[in-house]
Amino acid sequence: MIEEPVLSLVEGIRKVVAERLEESDGVVALRRSSEGVAPHVFRKGDDLSELEIAPRYPLMTVVSKLHKAFPDIRLGIVARGCDERAFIEMAKREQIDPDRLFIIGFACTEEEAQECHCSAPAPQNLLVGTAPPPGPPNPVVEKYDEMTIDERRAFWQRQFVKCLKCYGCRNICPECFCEACAMEDAAWVEPGLLAPPFPVFHLIRAMHMASRCVACRQCELVCPAHIPLTVLYDLMRRDMETLLGYVPGTDMDAPPPLSVTLEEAPLRVAVEA
Amino acid sequence: MEYKNVLTTCVYCGCGCGLYLEVVDDHITGVWPAKTHAVSQGKLCIKGWNAADFVYHPDRLKTPLIRKDGELVEATWDEALSLIAERLGTIKAESGPNSIALLSSAKCTNEENYLLQKLARAVIGTNNVDHCARL
Amino acid sequence: MSENGFEPKIIGFLCRWCSYPGADLAGTSRIKYPPNMIPIRVMCSGRVSPEMVLRAFRAGADGVLVMGCHIGDCHYSSGNHRTIKRVPLLRNLLGYAGINPDRLRLAWVSAAEAPRFVKVTTEFTETVRELGPLSQEVAHQEVAHQEVRE
Repeated sequence: MIEEPVLSLVEGIRKVVAERLEESDGVVALRRSSEGVAPHVFRKGDDLSELEIAPRYPLMTVVSKLHKAFPDIRLGIVARGCDERAFIEMAKREQIDPDRLFIIGFACTEEEAQECHCSAPAPQNLLVGTAPPPGPPNPVVEKYDEMTIDERRAFWQRQFVKCLKCYGCRNICPECFCEACAMEDAAWVEPGLLAPPFPVFHLIRAMHMASRCVACRQCELVCPAHIPLTVLYDLMRRDMETLLGYVPGTDMDAPPPLSVTLEEAPLRVAVEA
Repeated sequence: MEYKNVLTTCVYCGCGCGLYLEVVDDHITGVWPAKTHAVSQGKLCIKGWNAADFVYHPDRLKTPLIRKDGELVEATWDEALSLIAERLGTIKAESGPNSIALLSSAKCTNEENYLLQKLARAVIGTNNVDHCARL
Repeated sequence: MSENGFEPKIIGFLCRWCSYPGADLAGTSRIKYPPNMIPIRVMCSGRVSPEMVLRAFRAGADGVLVMGCHIGDCHYSSGNHRTIKRVPLLRNLLGYAGINPDRLRLAWVSAAEAPRFVKVTTEFTETVRELGPLSQEVAHQEVAHQEVRE
């Protein structure tokens, strides 16, 4: 009996990509070269030993860009759980055409799930690997309700004072695709102030991300000032679930609740007005 | 359809953050921070994120311009270089080499800046040479 | 009345079809209410974006009132559906950032409900008076601010 060699996770992914490369015009994944690791579109004939899965980039943004630039292009993508969640929220908002994309999903490692405090470290379209247990929630988020309002304010003032307004959080986010961004609008954010006005600058993004944040953690990874943005966004995600029963990136058929009527997406709690 | 990411260094300051220029069919479509770069570690400041903006900027010069009758008019390289050589030569002879200063740019390569200071010191004979990073 | 005579500044976003006429009716009916609220007329309460509310706080408002039509009565059918989802979310977010959520209030006031308009405005003014000036809460940030105007 011939035994199949046991493949590592990335080798398993390369094998699936090789088998499915011809189903589309290209497969979006990370590529390692002498210049480092960057997003790439693998085509037939490319050296798949260069395909990598880390460090993570928000690859769905590449799909979105190419789908919009080339209306006929069909793509595949090597995707983690967060990539697939990003896909679902982008597809709902017509940024990606689901009919022109197939997903080669793979599971994160247990360490990765813990690092990201990820509640769903594997995609629904899981083809390679086994889903690890979900990472524990961020302890700051878990204990947040115990903080007094003064403590919370002091916490964020200390954090936001470091902000250099690089817009990295906005630029890297797969769900930030607005052509006119409220964070750049002088009507709301006074230009020329560093640190940016508290708490306007960061709270605008937190509100705009409320129904979109898929907890990919790219914003926090890209922040040069190491601001724990995901704490704020995790709290918004918690509210989305409590108030509207909505978890971004899980259900393609659930409409974005903040944009639709109460009949289409009802409140789960009574709101006094 | 060709998609590639080209590693380059941000031109805006001495940190030298690594970034990828995302290129689709020979057109720059965006910037990715280089996560494996030892210096920048996958982060960029606002200048780095917008480092490619000048490439397609409408104000960017595409041909030399020569002022004729108070108006800037498009010219050829030959015309422009001949004019420069002739005028610099005249000014040097009339007012001396130190009446001339040369201003370069931090966005030029080291090699280009080397050439300009050689032009200033060896050809024109002045050390009045500087660039925008010192201003 | 607070000890130091603090008069809260309140910005009110009032919808053009219900709340603003409701406020007008209170005025023409000569019903007295505190003068602290500055009304801003918007076409629909659903038009009030989170950045408008945040900018109002930044501009010096100690409290922000958002008033619109009752559910089912919105002139645009479902504009106020967005409001009733958005405002509680923003109130929570303010709380997470360390600003008392009671500084933001949502109320439905129809064009005929002048007494209700007066009640809400009076109540809210007192609530914000008790809370004190917002600038006290964000005072520390001024130290951190550096203006880099050219």
